Amino acid sequence: MRGIALALAAALATAVAVAVVVRGSSPGTANASSHREAPLISQDPSADNTDLYAFRSPDKPDTVTIVSNWIPGEDPGAGPNWYTFSPSARYDLYVDRNGDGKPDVTWQFRFKAGTPTAFLGGTQQEYTVTKVAGGKTTVVGRGLATPPDNIGPRSTPNYHDLAVKGVHSLTDGTTVFAGQRDDAFFGDIGAAFDLVAIRHGTGATGGGKDFFAGYAVHAIALQVPVAMLDNSSHVIGIWAATDRPSAQVAKGKPGLVQVSRLGNPLVNELLIPTELKDKWNATTPDKDKQFEQYYSTPILAALLNKLYPQFGPFQEKDRADIVSVLGTGLKSPNLNYTGPTFADELRLNLSIAPTAAVGKGNRLGVLGGDLAGYPNGRRLEDDVIDISERAVGGALIGHSLPLGDGVDANDVPLQSSFPYEPDPFSGFDNTKGQLQPANG
Amino acid sequence: MRRRLFIAGTAAGIAAAVLLLGGLFRGSPAAAPRPTSGEALAADFAAADTAGLVLQLQTALRAAPRDVHGLGLLGLAYQQRARETGDPAWYGKSEGVLRRALRLAPHDLIATSGLASLALSRHRFGEALALGRRARALSPSTARNYGVIGDALVELGRYREAFAAFDTMARLKPGLAAYARISYARELRGDVAGARDVMRLALDAAVGQREALAWTHVQLAKLELGHGRREAAAREARAALRAFPGYVYGLDALAQVEAARGRLRAAARLERAAAQTIPLPQFVSFLGDLYAATGRLRLARDQYRLIGAIERLLAANGVRTDLETALFDADHGRASIALARRAERMRPSIDGADVLAWTLARHDRCAEALTWSRRALRLGTQDALKLFHRGMIERCLARDAEARIWFRRALALNPRFSVLWAPTARRLAR
Repeated sequence: MRGIALALAAALATAVAVAVVVRGSSPGTANASSHREAPLISQDPSADNTDLYAFRSPDKPDTVTIVSNWIPGEDPGAGPNWYTFSPSARYDLYVDRNGDGKPDVTWQFRFKAGTPTAFLGGTQQEYTVTKVAGGKTTVVGRGLATPPDNIGPRSTPNYHDLAVKGVHSLTDGTTVFAGQRDDAFFGDIGAAFDLVAIRHGTGATGGGKDFFAGYAVHAIALQVPVAMLDNSSHVIGIWAATDRPSAQVAKGKPGLVQVSRLGNPLVNELLIPTELKDKWNATTPDKDKQFEQYYSTPILAALLNKLYPQFGPFQEKDRADIVSVLGTGLKSPNLNYTGPTFADELRLNLSIAPTAAVGKGNRLGVLGGDLAGYPNGRRLEDDVIDISERAVGGALIGHSLPLGDGVDANDVPLQSSFPYEPDPFSGFDNTKGQLQPANG
Repeated sequence: MRRRLFIAGTAAGIAAAVLLLGGLFRGSPAAAPRPTSGEALAADFAAADTAGLVLQLQTALRAAPRDVHGLGLLGLAYQQRARETGDPAWYGKSEGVLRRALRLAPHDLIATSGLASLALSRHRFGEALALGRRARALSPSTARNYGVIGDALVELGRYREAFAAFDTMARLKPGLAAYARISYARELRGDVAGARDVMRLALDAAVGQREALAWTHVQLAKLELGHGRREAAAREARAALRAFPGYVYGLDALAQVEAARGRLRAAARLERAAAQTIPLPQFVSFLGDLYAATGRLRLARDQYRLIGAIERLLAANGVRTDLETALFDADHGRASIALARRAERMRPSIDGADVLAWTLARHDRCAEALTWSRRALRLGTQDALKLFHRGMIERCLARDAEARIWFRRALALNPRFSVLWAPTARRLAR
């Protein structure tokens, strides 16, 4: 879930506090709510899945890397309220190996509250990883530690070294990292979601503004041997989710309820109507058939018709191409088809080897002729806004247009080794919302 | 009681806030044409303030005045301004644009639930319930609709239905907004430990969000203070101010802790800071009481006069304040039975019953007061002020031994539960 959501939630959630800090508590400043009103409560950022990536690791091609991000728009300078995983939530990574929309391998992450220390803001968290596979539940990592958030050179000197210490081996042969990272997502959200108001031409010429530059997220990254997940079709489906304990007025044992999930990017923002967002987020992929109609009539297509009649018509209905890319995998040409069950999963064909070093793949992925990129899994460098705009524009049905948002890459380079997402900016020297130079 | 009314209101406020953000942030940007330009949003992101957002939305709407989504967002942004400034004039503006949105699109979810949250803010609970139900019909799977409905039902005294709505909300989407409501419901039922437990979940869910975190600490501070745990309350109030320095609700909570410690002048200093920042009636009235209790009668009178002005301002902007006014009047020697009856009819909750009971007792109508006090205590709520009121009613009925039991129960919850009345309770409990 991200998009406008991210930008405005972050902005508003800090607005009040910023006003006070900057201007003091003089009358009339926006420093609190009116009588009886609760404060800005944004929409549960610590449970909010922002992005999911899955790719064969370029530096270790016999492994698959899954990176899942939470907590949109972390402002590195937000102290003293630093960000952490929520101790009462459960964070889940799911892998479907047989195309039925149900998990066959699950890793569950539970974090303890950070230990408050004066310098680290209580952001270093201990966590446990539990694996569910083949009907067995096993703890595969206990007492693991996240690095602290990147607070600044005095509190967290040599941050990169601290972060490297956050990489751990689990007893099932996987490698894990959990903690703060630079948000590798990039995009001109303002333009992309303002009726696709592309700033320059059709957007393929740069000049967009990366709304995510300088912001951080909390990431869980897992590096898994391909052999652990592979199957005869070589295609697996992946999604991430967050659960929170339910509660009732009467005493009772609270169960967990899924409050957020993410498979393919931008689905929650671009396809699911407001009325159904809570339901979609609570649903597991095996029950996604009920939402198929929203995938087959992407409203973005109607917008493109209004905005770019000269390039149209864009097909608004019966978009079997979109349904198959997001719901079953591409069958013809066979890229990552998992069978007829419609399920929103990120599908990765494990038989397609990495085509480039980390960050060097074609940003347009499959549309750019690079089969190792989105929608075959998703790499950190894949430009999913441009890909989505072009796909809805009809790229897969013979209607290719160079649509895009003019932001083509993350503001900082990716790391060449696991967990690949860059170190976050520190609270000390953060800069946000940088303009990307036009690249002609 | 003061706290009770406040808390009740905050539960409604959560609905409003969640709704606001829900509307702004969950709305599928592509599901309806967005009015704001990318540049405008970019500016918002940087400037990070609601006033800026209002301006951008207004500008965009001048270009596209029939944009339903834009109207809905502006209506919600106006409500947010009301929350931030304490100026109820924003409510009327909000109503105007939300109604226009509904005229253009009668089934718009954001505008419908926006009007529901507006009605809650204005204490028009019957209207809020009807609108909340309409929103639920538009989207039965959206959790926040059940929050609005439950908040309205609580204020209408329909607790069984209210708690069922909160349960549904927490089943659909557990999170801070649902936890806070479940906690409040448990507190109403006298389950203080349970209320505390679920508020801890709320703290977990508020991690990293400055104001949400501060607000949650404030709620915990008041819960602890109201149930005999003054030092825990102090810790929570300080945690709120640490998370959000200068937070008015944090100042108010700490003022209440100081008052409970008998440090009335320190309390007055804190409460004055809160009231000067945003002159909410409950801040101003508490400050007046603190001045009165420390012998500064002229200052107290000024605050009490200010209350009248604030309530007139609220009323002029469609906010019903009868119950708050009736309680203030009963506490300050001008109890009006007619007003209390009217307030109870509009808000037949345990608070409505308590204020009417107290008002009747002040007029020595003891038997009728007892009937209403029983209604006020029917959920088993552990609220010192309501217990104290019952004690006064028992005395009024010449049942002094009974009365002493009620006074002692009130004092056991908080030996200084009220600047105005705890001294009386202590004297009469002997």
